[in-house]
Amino acid sequence: MRRGKKISFPYILMITFLTIASFIMIIPYLWMVLSSLKGNLEIISSTSILPHKVTFEGYKTVFQDAPFVRWLFNSLFTATLITVATVFSSALSGYIFAKFRFAGKQMIFLVVIATMMIPPQILMIPTYLIIYKLGLIDNLSAVILPSLVSAFGVFLARQAIEELPYDLIESARIDGAGEFFIFNRIILPLVRPMLSALAIFTFMAAWNNYVWPLIVLNDEEKMTLPLALVFFNGSHVTNYNIVMSASVLIMIPVFIVFLIFQKQFVKGLALTGFK
Amino acid sequence: MEVKQEIVKPVSYRSQYKKSKRNNRELKFIILSLTPILLLFVVFMVIPIIWGIILSFYQYDPLADHSPFIALKNYTELWKDPVFLASLKATLIFVFVAVPANILITLPIASMINRVRNRFVRNTFRTLFFLPAIAPLSAASLIWSTMLRSGNDGLFNMILAFFGHANVGWLTDGKMAMISVIIVTLWADVAYNIIIFMAGLDAIPKVFYEAAELDGANGFQKFRHITLPLLQRTSLFILIMTVISYFQMFAQFQIMTKGGPGGATNVLSLSIYKTAFGYSRMGYASAMATVLLLIILLISLIQLRVGRSQWEY
Repeated sequence: MRRGKKISFPYILMITFLTIASFIMIIPYLWMVLSSLKGNLEIISSTSILPHKVTFEGYKTVFQDAPFVRWLFNSLFTATLITVATVFSSALSGYIFAKFRFAGKQMIFLVVIATMMIPPQILMIPTYLIIYKLGLIDNLSAVILPSLVSAFGVFLARQAIEELPYDLIESARIDGAGEFFIFNRIILPLVRPMLSALAIFTFMAAWNNYVWPLIVLNDEEKMTLPLALVFFNGSHVTNYNIVMSASVLIMIPVFIVFLIFQKQFVKGLALTGFK
Repeated sequence: MEVKQEIVKPVSYRSQYKKSKRNNRELKFIILSLTPILLLFVVFMVIPIIWGIILSFYQYDPLADHSPFIALKNYTELWKDPVFLASLKATLIFVFVAVPANILITLPIASMINRVRNRFVRNTFRTLFFLPAIAPLSAASLIWSTMLRSGNDGLFNMILAFFGHANVGWLTDGKMAMISVIIVTLWADVAYNIIIFMAGLDAIPKVFYEAAELDGANGFQKFRHITLPLLQRTSLFILIMTVISYFQMFAQFQIMTKGGPGGATNVLSLSIYKTAFGYSRMGYASAMATVLLLIILLISLIQLRVGRSQWEY
């Protein structure tokens, strides 16, 4: 920090600009919270941003009229399972691609990496047909199964593990450690920062995923939150305080995850450019 | 030197001795761990890509008894299909407006946040700009839909009314709908590029700026002659990644406008979804998806080509 630098006029101007711009960025959140506290009647009649009389009607309706807890469970269940599986499968295959030699390794790795470039729109239809043939439509495993592995995760893990010294593995082997033991006790702890970044991205992506659940889930009880939210909106078009209340509730877990892991998140993003 | 060799030799001898046993063990480990992972890749990545392209040569409808092979007919039909052509146009308009707008917003904001001297204030700004990105896009689309309502009860029209302006049909007017969706997309998406730009700016050695200051360069000159040229790699990366991801945007279109009014916002990904799952024309939708795939592969190839010729600093 340079203390000698004076606070100049352009600097104040810049801070002012950033303050206004960041306020504009959070307006939709303010709007969401304020609308969720308005009553049904007020929404239609009022032209004011602030609620006249604060009411929790919307929140009450969400829990009473909708299987909100069920949706929350569906989302938590799928996102957690996807995250754990993706981190594990990425680390394991990343380790193998980084530290082992076997026939066809480069070819297999290249094919895995090449799938990163494929837009989901081309995968959507055949994957739907595969899920349909497996009889998994309207089943949460339809959401989970295609997301257990990630080409990006494999790529990221291989990059990180490649940097670890080979002696580490070699000396563990000489001491008689098994391959799974080496992976579990030596490799995994050393790449924890990379894995936690991958875990956060994967969790957020799974939690926020909309397109794929939209295609494979129809039953209201089976829906995940983002999908349920939009579905729910269709039946409550006029009183959007209910939809806004549901939006507030769906946002809270993501906020918590983000605020706890913000550092890893930003670092991971800066390193990888992954969305 | 001699001492070193003496130490190394017994170790390599020992590993030589154990090699056959070890190779066996390693092979078992590789096969045991990699098989299930690769199987998932094959079933949910490799097969769908190939199947998707093959489907585009069929008149495939999951509800029909018979799905004939029609070779390139889906593709020839595409170029005569006004709905497809309109959706291609809508996609291109969206990408060519939203991507430059994104970069014009994110680069200045990133460089401004980077220049904030107090670390706490800098982190606070970064967090505030990041908050929109963590909202599920579906929730963000719903929130914005209510802000963009065409009656008196939408935030945007409330603000217009405050200035004495008449209501605007943000999502119902053909011209405004695309602009509205672009605004929402930018709100939800600028954070990523701000973070990546900030990392790129951090990587520029400070000595360049100090030297320029000694030469009496002002803020703009420093930006123009140091920041911009040294940020080329980052910018190119951001440009390509943003273009690719904007070609595939879906949720905000499906939720906010459903492609309307009059197909003005019926972008490719939405059109593919509707054709496949709304009208069950999966072969035809696969042809549309293949066109999208080709566009994205072309952009990726350009990136690889340009990226290789870039120099490092």
